[in-house]
Amino acid sequence: MADTSVRTQPTRSPFEVGIDRIWRFFCSVRAAVAEIVLLALLVLIGTLRGSEVPGWIREYVPVTKPVVDRWYAWDVFHSLVFILLLTVIAIAITVCTINRVPGIWQSIAHPKVTTSKGYLRNADTSASFAAAGEASMLATSVVESLEKQRFRVLTEQVGNDTHIYADKHRYGKLGTFPFHLALILLLVGGIVGARYGFRNQEFVVPEGSTRAVGHNTGLSVELNRFTDSYSQLGIAQQYESDVVIYKHGKKVKSGPITVNNPITYGTTTFYQSSFGNAAELKITDASGNVIYNDALDMGIYHLSTNPDAPAGFVQLPDRGVMVTVVGPDVDPANAPQLDKLNLAPGELWVQVMPLNSQPGGAMPPNTKVMQGKTSQLDGMNIEFVREKRFAVLQVADNPGMPIFYAAAFLLVAGLAVTFYFPHRRIRGIVASTANGAEVQLVPLARRDWSGKRDFYRAVAVLQDRLGITPYVRQPEGANDWQQFANAGAGTAGSR
Amino acid sequence: MDGLVKLSFYCFAASSIAIAASAISYIVYSVGRIRVRRAMMATSAGTTVSGSMAEFGPGAAGAGRFGTMLAWFAFVFAAFAVLFRSIVAHRLPTSNMYEFSLTFLLCITGIYLVFEHMYHVKQLGAIVMTIGFGMAVYVWTLPADLREVNPLIPALNNRPIMTAHVSMAIMSYATFAVSFAAAVLYLIAEGRRISWLPNAEMLDDIGFRAVTIGFPMLSLVLILGAMWAHEAWGVYWSWDPKETAALFTWLVYGVYLHTRTLRGWRGRRSAIILLFGFAAVMFTYYGNYFFGGLHAYGGV
Repeated sequence: MADTSVRTQPTRSPFEVGIDRIWRFFCSVRAAVAEIVLLALLVLIGTLRGSEVPGWIREYVPVTKPVVDRWYAWDVFHSLVFILLLTVIAIAITVCTINRVPGIWQSIAHPKVTTSKGYLRNADTSASFAAAGEASMLATSVVESLEKQRFRVLTEQVGNDTHIYADKHRYGKLGTFPFHLALILLLVGGIVGARYGFRNQEFVVPEGSTRAVGHNTGLSVELNRFTDSYSQLGIAQQYESDVVIYKHGKKVKSGPITVNNPITYGTTTFYQSSFGNAAELKITDASGNVIYNDALDMGIYHLSTNPDAPAGFVQLPDRGVMVTVVGPDVDPANAPQLDKLNLAPGELWVQVMPLNSQPGGAMPPNTKVMQGKTSQLDGMNIEFVREKRFAVLQVADNPGMPIFYAAAFLLVAGLAVTFYFPHRRIRGIVASTANGAEVQLVPLARRDWSGKRDFYRAVAVLQDRLGITPYVRQPEGANDWQQFANAGAGTAGSR
Repeated sequence: MDGLVKLSFYCFAASSIAIAASAISYIVYSVGRIRVRRAMMATSAGTTVSGSMAEFGPGAAGAGRFGTMLAWFAFVFAAFAVLFRSIVAHRLPTSNMYEFSLTFLLCITGIYLVFEHMYHVKQLGAIVMTIGFGMAVYVWTLPADLREVNPLIPALNNRPIMTAHVSMAIMSYATFAVSFAAAVLYLIAEGRRISWLPNAEMLDDIGFRAVTIGFPMLSLVLILGAMWAHEAWGVYWSWDPKETAALFTWLVYGVYLHTRTLRGWRGRRSAIILLFGFAAVMFTYYGNYFFGGLHAYGGV
């Protein structure tokens, strides 16, 4: 009775099956393509949200108004679905990389050398040389020729046949790893920057004033002078803030900040962002004690009752009041009917109100004060010393930047290695025949025109070395071999 | 100085004419020609019947050669236009849509000629030069005051990085135009026996090769833009519409590159993705017209 042993698959638990399926999902290129397509769609939706396109759609197709309104309201790039998708892609890249490393390394370090005659026979592109000598001599010539063309050549003897595997740029296959690592690092850099850094987009410093940066930096910035220059056509040419940086009150750095030329101290960088007018105020109490003596920036805020005019405020907690000032509305582009105060140049409107006041109550005390003059209000002397400028700086500390630079380098290097050092492979068998020996070579370049072209180039060199006309099989309709054959010394045949 | 600016414009005008003529020549070469022959046939009744026979054949080789020569003219004149303007401005002309498009003409003709030299496929010129001509027409429609050379506004005043960032964008767009042309030709050639069109596998390869040049360039556009943004705005990524439009384009070509590793996606499907990719390029290119945000100054 015959031995009928049955090989049984080890039973796997549902947990193992589940893990396996998840692993396969993350390793799947098709799933990766779907994830990138979905990401691209979200990016497109977010991009159009920042454009006039949804508005046009709403205008021409009024029925879409509710959808378009929701579109404008949806901050795609900070939405949960977007963050989740980025997370899934990051996991997929990681899992896929872990999954692919052994296989790719195997193909680089220990590729399979042997092939089958059936494979060679069915290839749409191949070249065969028939020589009169022994198979071993032909094999040696083929190996030497390919090695001279910088191919790594591996051979294996199977019976009387010599199997050949030749490849070039094998390490190019590794280029995918730095590229995908770079994508992960970009996300990591963003997270590190957001978690451990800070960014103040409106750090306002009036001329002659010093402002603390905060964020436990111990830094403060003094603005000596702000200047803006224009061309004869009125085009802005430069905005420049001349600043001094202090660390715990000690001067540590000074110099100009212009757009595109920030100034950095330690890991904190100061950028020129904007500017405006400020009013230098001196506020004293009835006894002459100075309560406030500094420049107050105007234009960052606006009063709802006089929306176009530049306004500013300062809180005086010791007196429990807030002083609000409004400057003249000098922009001719503004609507004149919105200007209720009608202030003249050099004039300031000042209002004092309790810090805990509720809206809708009685009008707090207010007055107008001219530059260089003093007005009394709520028991205080308010002097409008003079007009000044203020600079709006951005202050940022982004510890994620070194990670970003590393990612940028890896991304470009990975792409360059992948694209410009493509892995080229040739398989072949040298066999004895009745008339001598024959070698048949095949490129691993299915539907890869450049791969086939490189193969033809290698065959042409081999043709010159052997002095034998090869028989070259090409895909239907192709005649690319001819240009290489004609360039060689011999005369080529093809079938 | 003013004279050089005018000379630059005249060179652009000459380049426009050359590119139009080149596009026509390439189209004539690519479409082929119809030969009408009169044929006499004897019938069984002993009489003869005459008739006309139309047959398609490859276009005149001379038209192709003429197209290449004119493409070279277009390239040289565009190079002079860019050179003269660069001398006046002390920088590569890349600061507004007129300058951007002028430099684009130089790059699209130059990159096309490189691909023609590599692959000897003149039919690509019928599409690439037509795109170039369309760009030239667009430049003519721009306001005349953009032809003046003005000092850079503070936001753009970072010549090394602006030159690198914008010129990379121009070159990547021009390279993607070549991949688009290859994709269109692929879709025409695939499954049809048009003897004078290049074989479909080669066209698929041209499309891929163009993307392998354009995609790293577009990556550099995003990286250099981020570095510039960090230097000018204090943040390397702001989700600005122009940034995200470039990211969208990058993702579309990312999809293309990933699908090439999938069985059955090379060829027709790849070509269709390349059409989408170039639509994304156009969307990013002309986005200044309808995007708000931090790149608004780059508009017209």
